[in-house]
Amino acid sequence: MDSNPAKRRKLENAEEEVEKALALASSSGLSMREDSSGLFMTKNAAGVFVPPRVSKSKIFVLETYELAVEVKLNKTALPGADDLLHRAKECIEKIESHDSLPIAEAASKLEEKHGIRVPFPEPRPPENSNYKVSFAKPAQFNVVGSYVSKTMVESQKDYGVDMVVVMPEEILQEKDYLDLRYFYKRAYYLAVLAVSLQEELGSSAKLSYEHLNGNHLCPVLALQPYRSKTPKTTRQFKADSSKKDYRIRIIPCAPEGFFPKSKLHLGASLNRKGQDEGSKTATQPTPFYNSTLVAEGCFLSYLKLFRQIERKCQGFKDACRLGRVWLQQRGFEGHGSDGGFGHFEWALILALLIQGGGSRGTAALSPQLNSTQLFRAMIQFLSVTDLSEKACVLGAGERPDLQEAVKSGPIIYDSARQLNVAFKMSPSSAAFLHQHAKWTRSLLNEDDVDKLDATFILKADVPFQSFDLVARLKYDGALDESVTADCRGRVWEFRDKVYRILKRALADKELGARARLIHICSKERSSWPLTADSSSPPEDPIIEIRILFDPLNMARTVDRGPTAGASAEEKEECEKFRRFWGEKSELRRFERDSIREALIWTSTTPFELCEEIMRYILNLHIKIGYVYGDLTFYGNEFSALLPLKHTDTATFNAARKAFSDFEKEVRELEGLPLHVRQIAPICPELRHASVKPPSFGPSKSGPRPMECVISFEASGKWPESLAAIQRTKIAFLQMIGKLLEQDESREVKTYVGLDNAKSDEENLAFLDVVYESGASFRLRIHSDLEETLLDRQVKDKTVEQHVRTKATTLLANFRRLHTYLPLHTQSINTYVTRFPALSGTIRLLKHWFSAHKLTSHFTEEFIELVALHVFLVPYPWDAPSSAHTGFLRALLFLSRWDWRLEQLVLDTGDDVTAVDREAIDTRFHTWRTIDPRLNHCVLFVATAYDPSGTGFTRLAGQPKPSNVVATRMTALAKSACRVVKDEGLDLVVKKLFVHSNKDYDVQICLNSKALKSAQRTYATDDPEGRGGDGGGSGSGGDGGRASKFKNLDERTGQDMLPIVQHPSDVLLEQLNTTYADGGPLVFFRGEPDEDNVIAAIWNPHMCERRRTFKVNLPTSYKPVGGVMEVEVEGGVALVEGVAEVRRVVEEEEEQVDVNKEAIVSEIARIGGDLIEEILLPKGGVM
Amino acid sequence: MTTTLGEFSVLPVSIPPLPSFKHAAVHYLYVRRNAPKVPTALDSRSLFLTNVPVDSTDLHLRGLFASLVGAGRFESVSFADERAAAAAAAAREPSADSLLPASAARLLRMSRKRKHTADEEERIEEELRSRLPDTWTRRVRKSGGTAVVVLADEKSVEQVLKAIAKTHKSKKYPTWGEGVEKKVPGLGSAWIKAHNRMCYPDKDMLQASVDAFSAVFARREAEAQELAKRLRNEPDEDGFVTVTRGGGRTAPASRNEAEEARKKMIQKAEKKKEELQNFYRFQLRERKKEQQQELVKQFEEDRRKIQELKERRGRFRPEA
Repeated sequence: MDSNPAKRRKLENAEEEVEKALALASSSGLSMREDSSGLFMTKNAAGVFVPPRVSKSKIFVLETYELAVEVKLNKTALPGADDLLHRAKECIEKIESHDSLPIAEAASKLEEKHGIRVPFPEPRPPENSNYKVSFAKPAQFNVVGSYVSKTMVESQKDYGVDMVVVMPEEILQEKDYLDLRYFYKRAYYLAVLAVSLQEELGSSAKLSYEHLNGNHLCPVLALQPYRSKTPKTTRQFKADSSKKDYRIRIIPCAPEGFFPKSKLHLGASLNRKGQDEGSKTATQPTPFYNSTLVAEGCFLSYLKLFRQIERKCQGFKDACRLGRVWLQQRGFEGHGSDGGFGHFEWALILALLIQGGGSRGTAALSPQLNSTQLFRAMIQFLSVTDLSEKACVLGAGERPDLQEAVKSGPIIYDSARQLNVAFKMSPSSAAFLHQHAKWTRSLLNEDDVDKLDATFILKADVPFQSFDLVARLKYDGALDESVTADCRGRVWEFRDKVYRILKRALADKELGARARLIHICSKERSSWPLTADSSSPPEDPIIEIRILFDPLNMARTVDRGPTAGASAEEKEECEKFRRFWGEKSELRRFERDSIREALIWTSTTPFELCEEIMRYILNLHIKIGYVYGDLTFYGNEFSALLPLKHTDTATFNAARKAFSDFEKEVRELEGLPLHVRQIAPICPELRHASVKPPSFGPSKSGPRPMECVISFEASGKWPESLAAIQRTKIAFLQMIGKLLEQDESREVKTYVGLDNAKSDEENLAFLDVVYESGASFRLRIHSDLEETLLDRQVKDKTVEQHVRTKATTLLANFRRLHTYLPLHTQSINTYVTRFPALSGTIRLLKHWFSAHKLTSHFTEEFIELVALHVFLVPYPWDAPSSAHTGFLRALLFLSRWDWRLEQLVLDTGDDVTAVDREAIDTRFHTWRTIDPRLNHCVLFVATAYDPSGTGFTRLAGQPKPSNVVATRMTALAKSACRVVKDEGLDLVVKKLFVHSNKDYDVQICLNSKALKSAQRTYATDDPEGRGGDGGGSGSGGDGGRASKFKNLDERTGQDMLPIVQHPSDVLLEQLNTTYADGGPLVFFRGEPDEDNVIAAIWNPHMCERRRTFKVNLPTSYKPVGGVMEVEVEGGVALVEGVAEVRRVVEEEEEQVDVNKEAIVSEIARIGGDLIEEILLPKGGVM
Repeated sequence: MTTTLGEFSVLPVSIPPLPSFKHAAVHYLYVRRNAPKVPTALDSRSLFLTNVPVDSTDLHLRGLFASLVGAGRFESVSFADERAAAAAAAAREPSADSLLPASAARLLRMSRKRKHTADEEERIEEELRSRLPDTWTRRVRKSGGTAVVVLADEKSVEQVLKAIAKTHKSKKYPTWGEGVEKKVPGLGSAWIKAHNRMCYPDKDMLQASVDAFSAVFARREAEAQELAKRLRNEPDEDGFVTVTRGGGRTAPASRNEAEEARKKMIQKAEKKKEELQNFYRFQLRERKKEQQQELVKQFEEDRRKIQELKERRGRFRPEA
């Protein structure tokens, strides 16, 4: 490290930045760990910096290397480009010079003679102006840009080959930099070129004008070659797909150094025309105009620079390709409306950092670095330089004062050429770039995350996946202001104005920034024909405003402005505040008697608040927004789908509160033989994760208890037998229940219920505690001896295999219930407070699973973990700040997760060490080796508290979900993501949640009335109440005591029993044990409350093949009638042969088929009146 | 239509349409004479049925056989799942793995003797009392299950088989569930409701069953201890005396101690080893070499992984 602080202070800006970044990285303890490898030094003798630390596994380096090779554009991808360039050059050289003519005359001459218009920039030269234009042969031709550098990549949006044509000095004058004169001449020059090129090449290419990167001052000529239309064979066609459409852009430019740079500095006011009427504006600087002029003279200089660097630095080209991919995936382009930061700017900054960048000619980056390191260094550089806040100066030389200039736009100043490279960028795009660089940097600093996908592969600019709110603003009427002197074009001016207003309104640090990011982009017309005028208005006058929330601040309904005090300063502050906010601002008294300006908003959810504020403030300042058509908001449909209300959090908190009250009461019980150590909640209602918020109070069905487990102090009194432990637990539960009911002030009812246990060794019972207030809980007891006994049984090699298998299942179940679930609940609760959007994301995701009938195959915890994953590893973005972004990213993750080959590891609680990870890896690979067909373990999800990876993806010894269902999940997620991407803003959200039932073989429609009545059970019901077999009437089960009249019904006023299990769940479970366990049907159903259709498909392994009859067939079969065809085939020549044939015949006779009708009719009998109808969408049963 | 499959006769049963599924269906039962591996006295007058419908009950089959050969021939039926449960219970009784303390169970197995005492029956009854109340009015059987039907006499078996053959000729299949509607607890919502109701048994009844269980358990434990004591003193038939521990309790405790002692020993050994590391120069040299090799290995590994990835995903291609 540089030891001399005085020296360091003098360092140039950029170096300071890199230095800072380095310090930052090393202070976080991440850097310099890899030094022994010799690959990654931090600073060598020459004082050259390299980017800090490469991740532990160097796999990223190799991956990027592969990527750079893969994306390289094939040499033959742009067929005929060279040829076309040569022809264009020859053609231009042949044009005759002519002497100077008055500009208006020359232009009209062109139009009359050739029908080609001169693309003058706005404002057009006046008719009577005395400017003279002439034409002479170009001083120089040159092909520039990524075509010559060969840094184009495969997946580019479009391919442009740039040829600059340097206008000769004799047709220009030094004074031309003033008042657009140079640009008029340039436009005329271009038009002359267009005339002759149209004549020569018009047959082989389409010619049109366009603006260079959207800059209205610089029209250029684009030649798009026609594709040959001769019919092709398929083989040719295949080869053709690798060939790209491209266009050649002919760019006239000024000779290098023609204009005096000292006159073109950013503060100069060079376009004074039209300003004279206004008195004050006369000296307003025109930075954009000036920078464009400087840039006009720099093409060749930059070309030289790139050549130099390419020779010097091996990795430069690849780093440029990587940069291009990175920018492209985030939607950045050189075009002014796509951010104004494209491949050229990337390469330029990188080149400047390699060449100089530092003070006194020292370089900021060593040319010895490889492409990955250069890429990292660039990301580092961009992430520490907030261009919209502070000007960044690269290279030695004169250093102008840029403090003032930076207020009008971001600045990256190349001091050697005195050019602001970032002149096309808007403040909003600079902030956006900064943000993306920061995200990528933190990704690159992560250790155990797949970096390649998030950095380069994923498309990170899908609006709904990236932003919390997107709005479209129609600006039609708002643009009637006159052209400003700076010539940035009306749209850009307007865009920046909207940005400034919204930034002040939403990202004001004094108020507490509501938005983390405001990104505004505009779409503009790209090209227009030679015969048309450039000034016609754009067809689709829309700018898109995209906002990323700060979820906590955005939910604020009262903004506190400055205090209204007596001092002049305070008064001024208040005045400013009022001026900005208009009449919305009012004086309010807050606590501690402070009186402040305040803003009161009426909406409740973050989204609606943001919408309200935007509509108000845009209406106030630019008279847009309250008219509905002008401003359209997108992204709120998601919360409408599932009633995600702002009061839900309160309901969940109330449930938590009720739980802690309950816990306290149990702890305070006197007379329990053991002390209570812990009562832990284990259900989604108590971790903000259930689709429906928990409900209290009377409802039409019985209370639904929230589950928890209780554990006592360690004791030696537990009997040493599993069955005895389970009975002891029952006794314990009875005791707790009795004690709770004893105190009548509690108003509580308790019921001991029996679990549907298959053996005596499982947990047998639970205690339901129902409070009069509405809350109800289900308690199960934890006994540590149980685990020890099971563990011993699992490890005991002397007992039989089936006992051990059973013990393994029981142990897994025990651990899930008593170890993983309490910890899971705890950790989800922690993260729900840390990420306000997590709860909504989980609920939306569960709703999606339910809508697609997958719920019955997944544990709730698994879905929660998937949602949590996109918060813990959010790259390429930041953690989602609204439910829908979280939900869509979770879908994206599901669609890309190759669970066959990858495990999911969640670092819950930041304590999964490398050793742990390795252990988890080993476990996963062991699973895959011993079970390659995925019959036992399909999804593998490990967390800090569950390193086994199967705690929530295996239940009762079965994978949950099975391979088939998991594949279905991935397919559904994939198609959902495709829809999201393809439809962009026009996405109809409901579409994601619509499920087609056509694919199923059997649909069992449940009778919702019968379901509802089955949810009500009373203690006085006669359980043996006899109904008819199967098809009894709906009220058959009520035992005849239910009267038609409510007041005569003796159960009125009686308490309902809690629901042990939802009737639909019971039915599904019974059907599953009867048919699904490797049997003929696979059942699908969503949330029991919402989904009244159990759908099923026939298991193809079983139903598409005939079987030979044997005694223990897995399901109902019918004999295949009359199959005797094979009988004679073998012939009867030999005695043995006859025997052979007879055997064949016999086997044929014993073939059986699955008896589908009988099975469906069995289901109908089991369901009885609960089933309304069984549909067979695919026609008949077979 | 096939009338026999191997040694089984096919018994088609017609199933009437239901309001929710308005198709009539035919279910096929497969029937043969019962011939289990371990013969019993009842074999000659019993039939073995496979592929019984999932909602079969005693009454269903009784009705079915009545429609085949008339009433009065059917004696009883035992379903496979029930038999399995009974067998498990019976098997559990002598070894009593779950009902006994682990050590006692081991001892019992070792003794290989079982007293056939007079109070055997009383015991069984007690055990029945200690069972938890059932939560279902009626169980649904696994699809494709089997059952054994015992008929009145050997002649009935013949008659049944003949009647089955006849149904094929006359095409008049017996109807499933005829005449049982009111006699068996129904399925459907009533059944599920009853289940949800029965999951909450009467508290006193539950307490009684738990008490009964603890009584059985306590007695068993005492018996086991006694047995252990006796075995400690009595030589077995080969003249050996079995060495046993005093009670069930001591085993896990001492196991823990042993575990701890082992840990301590390992710790000590590790500490000693550590002290001698990096002591000699050759150790340092070797360590460096190892590290280098490790790096090379890691690199190769990564390269391989990339190759794999490439093969798997096709290409490294940014999404468009």
